[in-house]
Amino acid sequence: MAATIRTENVWKTYGANTPRQVDAVRDLSMEIEKGTITALGGPSGSGKSTALSLIGLLTRPSRGKIFLGDQEVSGLSEVFRTKLRRTEIGFIFQAQYLIPQLTATENVALPLLCTDISRSEAEKLAREKLTSLGMEQRLDFRVVELSGGELQRVGIARALMNAPRILIADEPSASIDEKLTKELLATLRTMVEDEGLTVVVASHDPVVLQWADVLLMMHDGSVKGSS
Amino acid sequence: MGVRKHSNLASYALGNVLKYRTRSIAIIIALFFSTSILSSVEFIREGVVQDISSSLDEGSDIVIQKLVGGRQVPIPTAWVTNVTETTGVRAATPRIWGYSDVGSGSLLTIMGVNASEYGNMIGAVGTEIVGEGRFLNESDRGKMIIGQGIIDLMAASAMPLHVQVGTILSLITFDGELIEFEVIGVFSSGSKIYSYDMVLTDIISARDVLGYENDTCTDIAVWVTPGADPNSVAFRLDTEIPEARVLTHDAISDSMLKAYGGRAGMAALLWTIVLMAVVLIAFTASGAISEEARREVGLLKALGFDTVDVLEIRMLESITLSLLGVSLGISFAVIYDFILGGPVISGYLLGWSLNLLPGGIPLTISLSTVFIMYAVGVVPILVAAVIPSWRNAITEPDTVLRGV
Repeated sequence: MAATIRTENVWKTYGANTPRQVDAVRDLSMEIEKGTITALGGPSGSGKSTALSLIGLLTRPSRGKIFLGDQEVSGLSEVFRTKLRRTEIGFIFQAQYLIPQLTATENVALPLLCTDISRSEAEKLAREKLTSLGMEQRLDFRVVELSGGELQRVGIARALMNAPRILIADEPSASIDEKLTKELLATLRTMVEDEGLTVVVASHDPVVLQWADVLLMMHDGSVKGSS
Repeated sequence: MGVRKHSNLASYALGNVLKYRTRSIAIIIALFFSTSILSSVEFIREGVVQDISSSLDEGSDIVIQKLVGGRQVPIPTAWVTNVTETTGVRAATPRIWGYSDVGSGSLLTIMGVNASEYGNMIGAVGTEIVGEGRFLNESDRGKMIIGQGIIDLMAASAMPLHVQVGTILSLITFDGELIEFEVIGVFSSGSKIYSYDMVLTDIISARDVLGYENDTCTDIAVWVTPGADPNSVAFRLDTEIPEARVLTHDAISDSMLKAYGGRAGMAALLWTIVLMAVVLIAFTASGAISEEARREVGLLKALGFDTVDVLEIRMLESITLSLLGVSLGISFAVIYDFILGGPVISGYLLGWSLNLLPGGIPLTISLSTVFIMYAVGVVPILVAAVIPSWRNAITEPDTVLRGV
């Protein structure tokens, strides 16, 4: 099976050439295959979130190369990286980053507003997506009126709105209980199996780590083991 | 990308204006105050400048006064002969100035002139008669030509009186007596400050009302011969009559414009301070300091919005807010100045020369002023809102989202 995501000797350094210089990712090389669920495990500060930001094109590597399919994307201009984020990648953030002034539907429709789909159509699709995740009773609720599990599902729905090939999830179970975590994982598994989605997830949660097809353990910015 | 995307971005921007209510209201209110202050001042200042220009066009080239101990005192009319004989003087005529009441409580400006000499000066204030009326004759006594303000004043009084040619009005003299005057004409004038509340009558009747002795006048109006330099003529008059205070057209214009310009400048300073506060609010709210707005930019970028999409949203937001604030400010200024008469601000700007009848405040709205109002309201807010967003939008989404 062809690798969907590949990194070659990737480094990410924050605060380069300053006293606060930190190598968040060091010499990271890994391959993630299409239609699999890959978990990045490891202690806090091991570089899991930075690795997700790198493969999600939210930041550029300081050194090394990143490939999506056969295309090297680390050197692309910001315009192309933005286009890839818009069309190929979905994000579930640890902090959700939902806009509190918007309703659940409006938040989920957000990724489609920068496309040629009309706002009403985008909101219709968002309602359908939320309904498929069991949120039909909360469509017009504002973010502040939702529980942790509901927020998580809004985040998932938003991440899937652009029908991505790759879903990146940072600590998706951080704010929900074990029951909701299992529901969330079941949902993701269905999408992987039905739609060929490639999921990369960073987590501390043993439930999540055990559930993944591939587990990459990170330590001090690089992969130290896999299973 | 087509129209739908821009429509989505516009819709999102307008939604933000409504959703971030506190921020939107703060910017609109601050812009409303700053714009209404500046617009109100500008409408009056522009009106005053035009009015001064008109009044000087309708006035004489030189005015001769006499000061004693810093106060203006009556001039002997015998000076007129000396003035007339001075090289470069085309005509000189004595005038009586002062204030009187028609019993309404409002003071009117009384100007007494030598009918034939003054009437020959084409375009002099009061000589252009509206409708059926006529100018003063040499033999007229107890006749008056009035400004439009007096008609307005009498129509609005407790016992409304429709003043027209033939109406008899009584003026209260300096010693409390009443003297009847017949209205023989209503004049038109480009200047409101000097003409709106003015009564033009013959010099003898004016002396009776204002208590001037025979053979004295308030000032002498001088017109120079075409082609002569008024400053040179003024210098000659100053030399000829050492006790005289000789004021040229330009000197009067300068002193008046300085007085109004200085006051308008103070108001503009106040406006600048308020506008800076607005800019600071916009700058803060747009992401320079606001964590929420900054994170929103990072999120939009992460979700696939281009930098120009983010800027388009922020521009539409700030343009909507600033157009709304400025439009409300200008609208209020129009109501405040043109309907309410610009209380407080007009008093401050016009000072002693505030017309004693409220309708006489000179006001002008020009397209250029309105354009400037919008420009100074919209552009700083636009810059203050867009620059921080642009800075965040060109930064990596990861950095913006994590605030590192």
